[in-house]
Amino acid sequence: MNSFQEVWWQQAKSDHEVFLLIRGQGVAQCHLLHYLQMVTEKLAKAYFWRSASPPPRSHAGFVQFLRFLGQFSRPNDQERIATIFTFKRFTDFQNWIRAVLPMAYELERLAPALANNGPNPEYPWPHAQPQFAPTNQHFAVWASFASGQGRDFMRKIRIAVERFPEYASL
Amino acid sequence: MYTTEFDREEMAQWYAKEHLKTDPGIVAVHYLPTNAGEREIRFVEINQFIGERNDDALEPIDFGIDMGMETAHKLYVLDVTPEQWNRIRSQELDLPNNWSLEGAIHFENE
Repeated sequence: MNSFQEVWWQQAKSDHEVFLLIRGQGVAQCHLLHYLQMVTEKLAKAYFWRSASPPPRSHAGFVQFLRFLGQFSRPNDQERIATIFTFKRFTDFQNWIRAVLPMAYELERLAPALANNGPNPEYPWPHAQPQFAPTNQHFAVWASFASGQGRDFMRKIRIAVERFPEYASL
Repeated sequence: MYTTEFDREEMAQWYAKEHLKTDPGIVAVHYLPTNAGEREIRFVEINQFIGERNDDALEPIDFGIDMGMETAHKLYVLDVTPEQWNRIRSQELDLPNNWSLEGAIHFENE
């Protein structure tokens, strides 16, 4: 892991700690999603800094990050990444990525810059004539994260954060 | 379910039925009241759609609900595969610390 990755990872890890804390406190969904979106965005950025050149400033990246992890070609790397994420086989890991990508897309689109002037976890919308506050919003994506598959995804995000140093350079 | 008083057993039953109804992956829910706090609901949910994995430590996900209200409580959900559930029952795989199958109440789709 290079020094650029290290600082992005530290921030992702800290955001994730806050996420775990507030999830247990039952705060409004917007805050949970805001933190989860930030964790995944920063984790992706930490990973893409592996080339030591800056990734795009865009809030997108998490979907690309997941896809990237599912595309290792060397058998050793495949086995290593699958094991880190607790899968027995790399193909199981790839199947899991395919299954959770729709949720990852939804999470990515929550960033205000990508939310098309609609529901987002940070600012009232629409921008020109605000009528809705995030704190009152029930987000469909949070219902997905509260489902069995979503809870499993949250566990994998925790692994992705905590075990980042083990795959940061792959 | 809207209530003004917290009834753990009633709430657990409601959650179990809702989870079974809304999540096609869940084939059974086991409510584990033994050792749980008064305002704590512990579930093991058997999910047929989550992939097989290595036996890392099982991790329940905790959700705080109605915090700051009279009905405040915590819901802990441990998702396991059918294979992991069999291993838990045969004591080859440990539940989280202080969780017990003693007195477990079982729910599944009718």
